[in-house]
Amino acid sequence: MSPAEAAWIVLVLPLIGSIVLGLGFKRWSGIGAGVVGTASVGLAFVFTLVSLVSMLGREEGQRQIASSLYDYVKVGGVDVRMEILVDPLSLVMLLVVTGVSTLIHLYSVAYMRGDQGYTRFFSYLNFFVFSMLVLVLAGNFVILIVGWGLVGAASYMLISFWYRRGTATTAGIKAFVINVVGDIGLVLGVILLLRHTGTVDFLETFATAKETFGESGDGSLTAGLLLVMVGAFAKSAQIPLHTWLPDAMEGPTPVSSLIHAATMVTAGVYLLARLHPLMELSQTAQTVGMVIGALTLLVAGTIGLVQTDLKRVIAYSTMSQIGYMIMGVSAGAYFASMFHLATHAFFKALLFMAAGSVIAAMASEQNLDKMGGFKKAMPFTYGAFVIGGLALAGIPPFSGFFSKDEILAVIGEQGGAYWLLYVAGYVGAFLTAVYTWRMIFRAFWGPPVEQAKELEGGHLYHAPDHRNPATGELEDTGVGFPGPEHHIAERAPAMKMAMGALALLAIFGGLLGIPKVLTPLEHFLEPSFESALHHPVHPGGGLIVVGLVLGTIVGVAGIYVAYLIWGKPLQQGEAATVNSSRWQERFAPLHKLFLNKWYFDELIDLVIVRPVRWLGRFAHDTFERLIIGGGIVGGTTGAVRGASAVVRRLQGGYMRTYSAMVLTGLAVLLVSFLIAS
Amino acid sequence: MLHLSILLWLPAALGLVALLVPARSARWVGLLGAALALALSIVLVLDFDASGAPFQHVTDTAWISALGVRYQLAITGLNVWLVLLTTVGFTFTAAWIAFSDLGVHERAKHVVLHLGIAQSAVLGALLAQDLILFVAFFDLMLIPFFFLTAQFGNGDRVPATIKMIVYTLVGSLLMLVAAIAVGVLATPSGESVSYNLAEIAQRGVPEGSQGWLFACFAAAFLVKMPAFPIHGWLADGYRAMPLPILAVFSGVLSKIAVYGFLQVAIPLLPQGTADLRWIVLIMAVVSILYASTLAFTTFNARLVLAYSSIAQLGFITLGVLSLRPDAASGSLLQSVNHGVAVFGAFLAVAILSRRAGGSEDLRDFGGAATKAPIFAVFFVIVSYAVLAMPGTANFVGEFLILRGAWEGAAPALAIVASIGVALAAVYALRLFIRSSHNRVAPTLEPREGSRVELALMAVPVLLIVALAVHPQQTVDAADHATSRAVQAAAVSVGPEHVQKIVESDPEVRGIVPPSVFSESDPGRVSAAAGGAGAAGGGATGGAGEPAIDPNTGQPVDPGAVQVDPSTGQPVDPGAVQVDPSTGGEGGTIEINPETGQPVDPSTPNEGAGR
Repeated sequence: MSPAEAAWIVLVLPLIGSIVLGLGFKRWSGIGAGVVGTASVGLAFVFTLVSLVSMLGREEGQRQIASSLYDYVKVGGVDVRMEILVDPLSLVMLLVVTGVSTLIHLYSVAYMRGDQGYTRFFSYLNFFVFSMLVLVLAGNFVILIVGWGLVGAASYMLISFWYRRGTATTAGIKAFVINVVGDIGLVLGVILLLRHTGTVDFLETFATAKETFGESGDGSLTAGLLLVMVGAFAKSAQIPLHTWLPDAMEGPTPVSSLIHAATMVTAGVYLLARLHPLMELSQTAQTVGMVIGALTLLVAGTIGLVQTDLKRVIAYSTMSQIGYMIMGVSAGAYFASMFHLATHAFFKALLFMAAGSVIAAMASEQNLDKMGGFKKAMPFTYGAFVIGGLALAGIPPFSGFFSKDEILAVIGEQGGAYWLLYVAGYVGAFLTAVYTWRMIFRAFWGPPVEQAKELEGGHLYHAPDHRNPATGELEDTGVGFPGPEHHIAERAPAMKMAMGALALLAIFGGLLGIPKVLTPLEHFLEPSFESALHHPVHPGGGLIVVGLVLGTIVGVAGIYVAYLIWGKPLQQGEAATVNSSRWQERFAPLHKLFLNKWYFDELIDLVIVRPVRWLGRFAHDTFERLIIGGGIVGGTTGAVRGASAVVRRLQGGYMRTYSAMVLTGLAVLLVSFLIAS
Repeated sequence: MLHLSILLWLPAALGLVALLVPARSARWVGLLGAALALALSIVLVLDFDASGAPFQHVTDTAWISALGVRYQLAITGLNVWLVLLTTVGFTFTAAWIAFSDLGVHERAKHVVLHLGIAQSAVLGALLAQDLILFVAFFDLMLIPFFFLTAQFGNGDRVPATIKMIVYTLVGSLLMLVAAIAVGVLATPSGESVSYNLAEIAQRGVPEGSQGWLFACFAAAFLVKMPAFPIHGWLADGYRAMPLPILAVFSGVLSKIAVYGFLQVAIPLLPQGTADLRWIVLIMAVVSILYASTLAFTTFNARLVLAYSSIAQLGFITLGVLSLRPDAASGSLLQSVNHGVAVFGAFLAVAILSRRAGGSEDLRDFGGAATKAPIFAVFFVIVSYAVLAMPGTANFVGEFLILRGAWEGAAPALAIVASIGVALAAVYALRLFIRSSHNRVAPTLEPREGSRVELALMAVPVLLIVALAVHPQQTVDAADHATSRAVQAAAVSVGPEHVQKIVESDPEVRGIVPPSVFSESDPGRVSAAAGGAGAAGGGATGGAGEPAIDPNTGQPVDPGAVQVDPSTGQPVDPGAVQVDPSTGGEGGTIEINPETGQPVDPSTPNEGAGR
């Protein structure tokens, strides 16, 4: 089986899964839907491996395979084929997406068990995987946009999965609309590029990129790429299009784990890596990418320090980590960014799963202030959280250590202004370590809360009533939520298995790329980045050693600071909030800024949402009523009033007579035509 | 060989039959008529040869000989899919009526009759190849809707109807005057008047008169659509019309106005189009933005769709007036897509309204998805189509339109219009969320769609999916015809505009000498001489069809004997001569032996680089 054939099968399997689950939604009972959903994605993973093996059997020069089924749209000199491109880059993404998806599906089999929408959940989740695969495998810009849009739709449906929750539907439409803004950027960017290249096909575009745009690119290339990057930033939650991601945590936790951590949000990174032959021709676009990535990683890191919603802290962390990848991929650190994308998928999915376990134990309470002391109650979850936390904080030998430092080393190697980014990266790494371990200390250390005690006693905690964690509103439990059956990772083998596998990946994922020692990923990806200008940017040995040492110091320092602020007082039996409020007072203005998320929501509300709403109201109340109703058609409405008074009197008879006249006329016409012809 | 008159008059004939049967069975007769027409139109679509003659299934008889008006019908690339949309739409509405209150209304016969007449009129307007015939059908198609609204509507139906009549009457009168003037002005002295569209296009209307004539046609079409700021009738009219009628009215009839631009105004009045198109383009963009903001502030579910319809037609008009073949094809595709999506959307509103005690206020809706998973999925698919989600054919249409506007009009227009895409996401999802999601409203009793409701809803949903998987067939059919329709107007805009079209598609398809209206005409010039090069611009490929010369705007005639201007000798057949009128250097051009394409030595990386 050729790599492309296998890839088509990979693509189709989750779609079939989604349809089968959806059509038979009444028939599935027990965990049937979960098993089918997991099996379809698991099978897709198997066929990804088949594709990989087949690919490895090929010469390095022949590892880019485009395969198309039919003409999707062919008009006006543009031939859009239903086309996939299988190359090392898409294959790495395929492995990450199908692999992590399989584990998260497995986790969900147990996690979502008590939910009323069990089948619906798996149908949506399968549909998401299909959409993501379309995005990853797309062989041209238009199919890419199709996948891009479909993941947005799937993400929307899963964010508002608990659709009777007002906060969930609001978060859903917010995510969708911001992503549509990104889609528009992408579409306009593609239109602009297309006008110069004359093709939407990736390989053709890249092959002629230098001839079309010149060695150093031109204005239209830069403009096109900047528009495309609007799409990448919206999807990957980069400033200022990031505000949807924290709100997206309204979705069930496996959704946050799969879509809003491991796969979909990294699509922007994948896109920029895919477009590297174009990116390299435009210094401006690269700079914009690097600056936005760096800003995002810092801003998100600071917000993560002060948020109290467990899932939102991880969401800000995701934003921040993707900031690294966007920065890296814009700076030409392709292997490193893809490497970090993979390891991040492992440890961030793991962190979300562990968080899901805690949240389930808390009966869907997500506030860190109310958590504490779960260490003894949930040792397995604790272990998973710690492994994820060490990997995220970049402590050797965990996977995040190698991948993040690799990005920063490639950036540092380039010298000059890149040093600013290098420094920003390590400042961000420090923040990362602090907020990650803040979560761990506050959730697991200290005196156990009521819920933890109950769990230690072997019972599940049930809240007296379900309240929306965001608003405190009483929930409409008819749509699900962890019901009487809710599962936590400690007890459910499926969840344990999924977390265990991810924990292993989070620990050993670094083996994919230990600089200068073991670089299988880089070697495999080489054919995809063959033309890269920066290829090969291999940071010197000195910088690598400095980076590894610096990374370790920064990570350990961050954890130590977190220990001083939260861990130590908790260990001494103090309440977590006491010491942290002391810190909050000391840095009150900063704390306020971070707590309010740098006021991005307010800014967008002020600049966009409110003016548009006001315009709508103005149109309705004033313009429609006065101008359309009165001014422009003043004469006609007057005539209408007069005429309608007459007609009202004549109605009935008048209408019927008229009707009969039209009828007769038509009949005559009809007959005459039939005779004539 | 299928006679178009059968298709055309069948619905009206069965409408008459409905008068003869017992009132209770009238609805089934109506459904039968619509279904038969649907079957015929499916045959027509399958039978349509996209690269064949421009006019297929031609019917041509004298009608009012004294005035030169003929009864001429044909299937063309412009109308073939709209005919199918029409028959699908009317069948959908007939089926819906059969199962709704209207079907058992005491005057159900009248409903069926009026709908039959309306369908025949719409088909007539689409098929007509004679200008007066087109105008007659165009006006006729509105009359049944006036009766339907006035007799069976809700609320202030009579004032609403009168308002519609006043508005459209003004437009129609302007169009009638313009139509007669076009025919007369185009007639050379000594010859008899002809209203045949192709004939008028060939004869040409004096350029000085084209401006006001175009304005008259545009007024009629823009009122019908409607476009900002002449949409005053829309809100009241939509509110008053019964929903099943409204579905077909909004889904099908508004598209005839777009078709009118492509079929009549643009090809007959190229100079007028080129001069005045900016007014229409700006109206289109303003319509998109203005109507979108209305759509997400109104609480009336119908009006959300009404305003969304204005916005979508804004997009479609934008594509048509970009005067590019690809954008026009995109607009035709979008017309079909939007029609289909609208059928589903109005049905969804009706289903919701039934559960909310007849209310159509969004504030009375909420949580309808509870206990109604199938309905919710159908509705969300329809919503995705309305907001032109990538993956639906609506997205493909919008992509082609935005690209066309960018290239054929101005990038700024495309960028401003694209704001409408984001706004569409807001109003479409708002409609879905406020009706189906959130808490169950006290005023709404959630329950799954009945079998009939779901079966009806499945029709647009399946069509949306089918179009999404393979949008190409619609574009394919339109491709040649749209090239012909916009050719002259594109030339009038200027050589740069033509240059851009040819650059992006060196094989602009289907350009023919605009002389023909005959069944036997193959519609294209023999491929034998293909490959005549045009210096500087695009080169014709091996597609077998002549290209527009970018400099003169005239079709390059590959059949002409090529003469070397310097020697006066016929050129060696191995080399292709530059058309002297292009001002080319006069040298011979080498042909690449592999591709058969002329090799242009000055620009090694020629044009679109395919």
